[in-house]
Amino acid sequence: MSIWLREAAAIFAKDWRSEFRTRIALNTLGLFAVSTLVVVSFSLGPLGTSPLGVAVLPAVLWIILLFAATAGLPRLFVAEEETHTATALRLAARPTALFCGKLLYGCALILALEALTVPLFLTMVQLPVVSPGRLILVLLAGGLGLAAGSTLVAAMVAQARGRGTLFAVLAFPVLIPLLIIAVALTREAVGGEPVAVSLTQLLVYDGSVVVAGFMLFPPLWNP
Amino acid sequence: MRKTLPWLLWIWMSTVMVAAFFWAPALSGFVGEGESSRIVYFHVPMAWTAFLAFFLGGILSAAYLVRRTARLDAAAEAAIQLGFVFCVLATVTGAIWSRIEWGAFWNWDPRQGTIALVLLFYAAYLALRSAVEDHEVRRRLAAGYAVLGLVVAPTLFWVVPRLMTSLHPEPVVNARGEVEMDASVLLLMLASWIGFMALFFWLQRIKVHLTLADQRRDRLRFERAEVG
Repeated sequence: MSIWLREAAAIFAKDWRSEFRTRIALNTLGLFAVSTLVVVSFSLGPLGTSPLGVAVLPAVLWIILLFAATAGLPRLFVAEEETHTATALRLAARPTALFCGKLLYGCALILALEALTVPLFLTMVQLPVVSPGRLILVLLAGGLGLAAGSTLVAAMVAQARGRGTLFAVLAFPVLIPLLIIAVALTREAVGGEPVAVSLTQLLVYDGSVVVAGFMLFPPLWNP
Repeated sequence: MRKTLPWLLWIWMSTVMVAAFFWAPALSGFVGEGESSRIVYFHVPMAWTAFLAFFLGGILSAAYLVRRTARLDAAAEAAIQLGFVFCVLATVTGAIWSRIEWGAFWNWDPRQGTIALVLLFYAAYLALRSAVEDHEVRRRLAAGYAVLGLVVAPTLFWVVPRLMTSLHPEPVVNARGEVEMDASVLLLMLASWIGFMALFFWLQRIKVHLTLADQRRDRLRFERAEVG
């Protein structure tokens, strides 16, 4: 068990270190999110001050997060295939440990993205938040789900051609249920009106995708 | 036996069709003095068949990941392709009926929402299959994605209906309105469903045979080219 944990931690540390050397993913994600944000707040203005804001802005926020994640997360495995280091990874760690490390790295990227985007978004559209604690919980759970779904799909598309578009085609149907729940819960957190779904459902979805990832990754990764 | 079964199926489905229009009662609460309700004998069984086909495709894909035989992959692919066809037919018939009953082709009724997302998922599956050249990799990736469908689809059924208000008529399937729950309606719907399932399994068998024959032909050509 401890060897397994050490392998997962090593994968995570390796990805994180190489990310800080190139900063490709962080720059892509951050710049993408910020430029979309500027466009949105430029055209919508201080929409958060009107009652319409609560209905529209949570969906806009999650669309920004989804598209920024789509811009950065496929690199998780595509970069390994492009630099031909995937075989070394296959030798270095067991598949489940590798998936765990990559998943942690994906989560870290999404959390960094959320930490940058969400405060900026809330300020620019002037959206008041009724329960900030709940919003943070929703962002954490939603981010975990985004990372889990994207990591698994990224591992799949790395072995196919037309990777960029294929990633979006495959990842969106998997992430849509998650986004529907997350948008409703964010609406609840900023508007205070109770919605028909709960945080438990979001966590159940996260859990089932993570478990499916751990079960499906070994046969997908090791031919 | 193999020759007579398709004929039996043809007779069965013809009987169902005739019965749906002339024997079954027109249900109350539908426009056109209930005549528009006759679509339930085709629309609902087609939707059930589609979802069972997708479920079967997921199970066969999981079996493929364990056993890795070409036949299991071909069976899973055929199940999902045919499920997609049935799902499109159910969506289109539903949309036409929705135009007659509710006034618009698309209302974002919960089931319309769910079926659109399910179609999107399995369209992505078919896109994935066409994007990979290597047979072995294609089978592996497609099987993984189909198994993921077993996780995603239940969430859709469980989440989307909560967030939208339903216009769908329940009484035929659920015993909510017991007055409209007619024994002959249920009987005919089950008969129609059995017919559609038989049609599905028949087509799936043909599809699997075709896929395997294609693969055998390719292999023979390859061997002949090597010898020559």
